[in-house]
Amino acid sequence: MNQTATPTYYSRRLIGYLSELWRRREFVWFLALGNFKARNASTALGLFWWVLNPLLLSLVYWFVFGLLFGTRDIIYLMSGMFVFHFTSQSLTGGANAILQNSKLLSNLRFPRLILPLANLLESLIGFLVSLGVLLVLQVFLRGYVPIASLWLLLPAIALQLIFNLGLGSLAARLAVPFRDINNFIPYLTRIWLYLSPIIWPLEFLDDPAAQSFARFADLNPLFPMIGLYRAALTGGPFQPEMLVQTLIWALVVGIIGVGVFVRYEGKIVRHL
Amino acid sequence: MSRPSIFVEDLYVRFRPYVDRKPTLRRNLGRRRVQEDVVALDHVSFSVDPGEAFGIIGRNGAGKSTLLRCVAGTLRPNSGKVVVNGRASTLLQLGVGFNTELSGHRNVYLGGLAAGMRKREIDERYDDIVRYAELEEAIDRPVKTYSSGMFSRLAFSVAMHLDPDVLLLDEVLAVGDEGFRRKSMQTMRDLLDRSGTIVFVSHSLNNVQEFCDRAIWLENGKIAAEGPSSEVVEAYRDAVDDRQAGQT
Repeated sequence: MNQTATPTYYSRRLIGYLSELWRRREFVWFLALGNFKARNASTALGLFWWVLNPLLLSLVYWFVFGLLFGTRDIIYLMSGMFVFHFTSQSLTGGANAILQNSKLLSNLRFPRLILPLANLLESLIGFLVSLGVLLVLQVFLRGYVPIASLWLLLPAIALQLIFNLGLGSLAARLAVPFRDINNFIPYLTRIWLYLSPIIWPLEFLDDPAAQSFARFADLNPLFPMIGLYRAALTGGPFQPEMLVQTLIWALVVGIIGVGVFVRYEGKIVRHL
Repeated sequence: MSRPSIFVEDLYVRFRPYVDRKPTLRRNLGRRRVQEDVVALDHVSFSVDPGEAFGIIGRNGAGKSTLLRCVAGTLRPNSGKVVVNGRASTLLQLGVGFNTELSGHRNVYLGGLAAGMRKREIDERYDDIVRYAELEEAIDRPVKTYSSGMFSRLAFSVAMHLDPDVLLLDEVLAVGDEGFRRKSMQTMRDLLDRSGTIVFVSHSLNNVQEFCDRAIWLENGKIAAEGPSSEVVEAYRDAVDDRQAGQT
């Protein structure tokens, strides 16, 4: 092996970078799985928490919105909530991915995108578990599984992954010079939650009083994304625009986020 | 043998202190609250040949660790050239990539993969790594239950089983108890005998004198002296003596 010149230039050419990422794929996997296991390693219930967490979360929302605010479709609520959590976790985790691994970064060479990728993979595991919980609950509550539309899950998950990677990488890149972002993100995700069709029903937008609110919905990438998941899992209506809009959002955010991150890579250690 | 293992030419690194507006960045920029850039390495050049142990000495903040990071390739210099021939293993800090919540077993894989090994390579060397670290009994326990000596032994063992051609060490020779320390010194001598190269940053001047063939003394990012390690260490000792005499 002959490293020439400044070694952290992961040749900016895309192919070189991607092949190095591919060569280090086992590292991504072990990092994600390690964090995943470590998270609850010292608790009595251990990995069971990954099923318990979404269940408890649904229970809380069912209690608040179902019991206190009248009957609301719990499956509608949970499907939106889990999808939202996947994205908000990628955002929060991405913002920490670089800062929490400063020791790793300043000691070893590797394509830095590995860190947001491992974070994404870790939240994906949790997300898939929660989708399983959702399906099981749906069997209990509604007694059916939408076999015919389940295939829609594949594009939905693939596109959300790309979107989340872009978002997480962007947050990771920005959080290094601007640490304030970490304080800001919880508020951002909170408002994003309220702007997304999760705790309010879609009919709400038809209300003339909600017109100004509805305008935000068009700008919200989670709108078509959640719609796609609902079409896949809970028998929600499927419109081809959902797929197209999600695709556009995923590509735009994915390319910008990853691009911005990779261009910044070489400077990360100096700014830590 | 004509090709140097490490070739560093005109290396220049400066840090821009974000001091005032972003206080969290302060700790990595030295303790000085200056407005102008901090020059960590000021046009440093040297080369190290295969089979050579090379020491870097100097005061705190002289740029030793920055230099090592540039050679390791984790820090991109502002200008200058670094060429490393061969597989480099870095021990700038012990246990990089370890997750202390997880078992020793798991951490052998994490540490190895972080350092650039493939899983298959680690599978092959796993038993050797554990035996070398003398942790056969404790390997399935979470690493957070390890004593600091056990932790260091495991980290050192993983790094040495990378089979590096070039080993970069930052103040970590004092690993484990006396028995393990001797073993690790022997391993490093074996590496040198196989035409490996060791670069070694330390404040333990005796270690540098005893172990290294050549050394440089860094002062404020510049090379203050270069040559056989005993001469460089002597020159540095004299300078420290002079400075202390001046203070009293």
